[in-house]
Amino acid sequence: MAKKKDSEKQNANENANKNGEESNFNDPDGFVDDITDEELLDDVLANKPKETDGFESVIIVDGVPEVGPDRFEKLKNVISKIFTKFGTVVSSYYPKDENGNTKGYIFIEYNNAVSARDAVTAVNHVKLDKNYTFLVNLFTDYDKYTTIPENWEPPVPQLYVEKPNLQEYLLEPDAYDQYLVFDSDWHVQIWLNSSPHPTLLEDRERWTESFVRWSPLGTYLATVHKLGVVLWGGPKFVRIMRFVQPNVQFIDFSPCEQYLTTFSPEPDAADKKKLVIFDIRTGMEKRSFIIDGAPVWPIFRWSKDDKYFAKIGPNILSVYETPSFGLLDKKSIQVSGIKDFMWSPSDNVLAYWVAEDKDVPARVVLLEIPSRQEIRANNLFNVADCKIHWQKNGDYLCVKVDRYAKSKKEKGEVKYSGMHYNFEIFHMREKNIPVDIIEIKESIHAFAWEPVGSKFAVVHGESSNIKVAFYDIKSAEKLSLIKLLEKKVCSHLFWSPTGQYIVLAECREVGALEFIDTNDFSTMASGEHYKATNVEWDPTGRFVVSSVSAWNHKMDTGFWMWSFQGKVLKRNNSNTFCEFKWRPRPLTLLSESKLKDIKKSLKKKYTVQFEQKDRIRLTKASKDVVEKRQKQMKNFKEYRDKRIEDWKKQKQERLQLRSYVDTDELNSDSKNYDEEIVEFIIKEETTVID
Amino acid sequence: MQNERSLEKHLHYVAKNIDSNFIKMKPILLLGHERALTQIKYNREGDLLFSSAKDLRPNVWYSLNGERLGTFNGHCGAVWCIDVDWETTRFISGAADNSLRLWDCATVFMLIENSIICVGVEIGQLSVKSAVRTCVFSYSANMAVYSTDATYGLDCEICVIDVRNADDSFSNTSPILRMQVKGSKVTSTIWGPLDKTIITGHDDGTITQWDTTTGRIIHSVKDHKGAINDLQKNSDGTMFVSASKDCSAKLFDIEDLSVLKTYQTERPVNSASISPLYDHVALGGGQEAMEVTTTSTRVGKFDARFFHLVFEEEFARVKGHFGPINTLAFHPDGKSFSSGGEDGFVRLQSFDQSYFDYKFDY
Repeated sequence: MAKKKDSEKQNANENANKNGEESNFNDPDGFVDDITDEELLDDVLANKPKETDGFESVIIVDGVPEVGPDRFEKLKNVISKIFTKFGTVVSSYYPKDENGNTKGYIFIEYNNAVSARDAVTAVNHVKLDKNYTFLVNLFTDYDKYTTIPENWEPPVPQLYVEKPNLQEYLLEPDAYDQYLVFDSDWHVQIWLNSSPHPTLLEDRERWTESFVRWSPLGTYLATVHKLGVVLWGGPKFVRIMRFVQPNVQFIDFSPCEQYLTTFSPEPDAADKKKLVIFDIRTGMEKRSFIIDGAPVWPIFRWSKDDKYFAKIGPNILSVYETPSFGLLDKKSIQVSGIKDFMWSPSDNVLAYWVAEDKDVPARVVLLEIPSRQEIRANNLFNVADCKIHWQKNGDYLCVKVDRYAKSKKEKGEVKYSGMHYNFEIFHMREKNIPVDIIEIKESIHAFAWEPVGSKFAVVHGESSNIKVAFYDIKSAEKLSLIKLLEKKVCSHLFWSPTGQYIVLAECREVGALEFIDTNDFSTMASGEHYKATNVEWDPTGRFVVSSVSAWNHKMDTGFWMWSFQGKVLKRNNSNTFCEFKWRPRPLTLLSESKLKDIKKSLKKKYTVQFEQKDRIRLTKASKDVVEKRQKQMKNFKEYRDKRIEDWKKQKQERLQLRSYVDTDELNSDSKNYDEEIVEFIIKEETTVID
Repeated sequence: MQNERSLEKHLHYVAKNIDSNFIKMKPILLLGHERALTQIKYNREGDLLFSSAKDLRPNVWYSLNGERLGTFNGHCGAVWCIDVDWETTRFISGAADNSLRLWDCATVFMLIENSIICVGVEIGQLSVKSAVRTCVFSYSANMAVYSTDATYGLDCEICVIDVRNADDSFSNTSPILRMQVKGSKVTSTIWGPLDKTIITGHDDGTITQWDTTTGRIIHSVKDHKGAINDLQKNSDGTMFVSASKDCSAKLFDIEDLSVLKTYQTERPVNSASISPLYDHVALGGGQEAMEVTTTSTRVGKFDARFFHLVFEEEFARVKGHFGPINTLAFHPDGKSFSSGGEDGFVRLQSFDQSYFDYKFDY
């Protein structure tokens, strides 16, 4: 076209110039149009009507009774009654034989293809009566069915592609943990926390386009891209699966890593779904939801075994079940005023709470799924807010209740005064689930369950005197304060995943860390990682990492590795450091008794082994360092020797420059040495003598 | 405050910390400046320490006890650079008052014997068109080089002058060599071996080697990403260490300007010095005063930091300043060092035994 136009223009111009007549748009003589239509009008051609157009609204109905002309009208009535339900029938055609009998099949044309399709899905295989069953097909499918080959060919078996062992990282003989380091330029590194120096396992630039996450059991690494989510795994971190959803902003794994939830608040115009649940193993989309407003992530919360997932809406709790992905019992649970809920980490029980409404008290309810049975409910008064904390083993549930003495309504906002706080502790493993209550008058800054065991810690008090209280619920009813630490610098609590040890951290200003052994409440060590905002235990409770992210701070970003006793092992400072994440581990498969055995024989059997191993590693490491230094020194010495030789050769020239005074050494010039004596008063003492 | 710190009061200031064991690791605080230090330099023997600051008067001190010997009065702008020749007879200083001044050191001694007033006598001054940023005597001290700032449409200039017979007519001295610097200005200058070359560090991180006979550039390298703040040679003058705003210091070969070692920190480095005694490098710096957001000195990291010259490993820090260290120098015997900070103090620090006992395993 372009070519043509140019030549035309030229022609036109020439003509206009020559005779001033109307432009001539004819092709010049001998012009050959060598541009195909496809090249020129590809986009327009895509919309060119096809031969089949118009036939999409036609259906073929087979299995119609064969009738003579006498009953034809009646048949027509019956048929049109059935088929006009799906849309306007434009025409129908009843083929007849020479005697005027219908042939048992008819053609019906709708005014649009949608009606035709609806009719096919609805009426196909529907019985008209005992003898006749409709077989309805789209006219456009006719070709498809006629060309089915006579002989069935078995599908070719697909080649077996070996998948990497996703659990390989658990086979590490020394049980070293892995961690990922995310740098500001989408640079992701995976390290093995080996002793005495970590080993770099993977290092990829631009591995992700927004963020990275480990799956909850550590099997997969998820990277989030503009077009969706990619899962990586195995020893070499190969791509395991892709999930397409443009502009993903949040992702969430189900606890057993069977399903992946992705959420994209502003998907493409064409793609309206906002939240999609994928099956991780097959990569298939299981269900999608349209979410209104700006919800709190995660919108859906999973039960511990991936069997159920639930979300709350206004006055409603919707529980869905897998693998059908339908609503449990096909209906949501009506709970007026529901505010928040949490699944138990060990049972299919969820705890939710309902806000106070005039004379109706607030309620905390434990609901068993799928029976929908309320196994425990607690009424509460004067409630401003509740927070639900499950203990990791699901043995206990703590609901922190913010209560008020007075409430006022000011400008539409409710203001509370005389705040005090209750901890309602539910003993899940006991009959009837008894509840204990602790009341604390001061404001609460943090709460944390010991992951295993029965202790929990609370940070409370005014900023001048922050207290850390430890409670124990050993026996059934008796819940007791076992230790109160006063005047601590602390804003967050981090329990070791194996219990017993806890880090009291101040993660707002200074970044102070205090390592405490809760067996005797001794401070093992305390330190400071200035401005540290994040603290994370490794999955085995051997190391703690504190970090300062470039997302929050400009200066001194990096992460520090601490031992569980609070000794800084390594300081990794980097300007581009953003995020540190330990690779999670699945729960141990060892039984309780086996664990006990191991703990018993730890001192006798294992300590010696481990210490020996550590020693060997350390000697090797220091040998490595020494070797490296020797090499550096050797190279440097070689360089220096050469330079010093040159320098010595230049001695005469140097002497010449400084009028033959040798100044090469500090005291080399002995001839021109002037000694000057300068006296100083070093000390003056006055002693009064009686 | 200024009155309290006035020069007269501190004329015979002897540091507070002096007592019978003052030569131990306790520092001697030299309080003679009212503003941020710009440069400190030992003379060749190391018995004297010269210091300049953004106030008007460079000082000279006994390095042994921190007693002030005298001042050089005359400048009327911040003094950016100082140097002393190898015989400790003449002293040179360049300032923001667009002047380069040459002083007689000997006069200072004479006057101290009279114990009337201890000031250096100015031999002469050279007026230039913009602030004098760097000035250095050559090895022979027959020549000196100075560089001027690029301002008001003036290019930065490097000039070599003959100072052999400098007298009253010094102000009329015309440079024997003049080198125009296009682009980034000179921030630091040293002489190459046998006075055959001059090495300049620039604001954009480049380091350039000039031929002093032709005035041409021999090499130019850009291994730093930020401004060069300081260049200092080792004791035999075959290597030099650069201090840069890019938070690192690098060891260079003085002939081919190849990078031999890099010492990385996380704060801008303002000054670096090579120990004449051991394979050690001292780095001084810290967060720039204008960028300090909190009052905490923890953020600033105003420590003098010691690295092994060859292994590039940091092994010690010396705290003390409550502002960034602007300039730092090893004593020529390597047994002490001094640092001058933005806080206006010079800290004269002698190493204690543990420093001499510390050995790297290799």
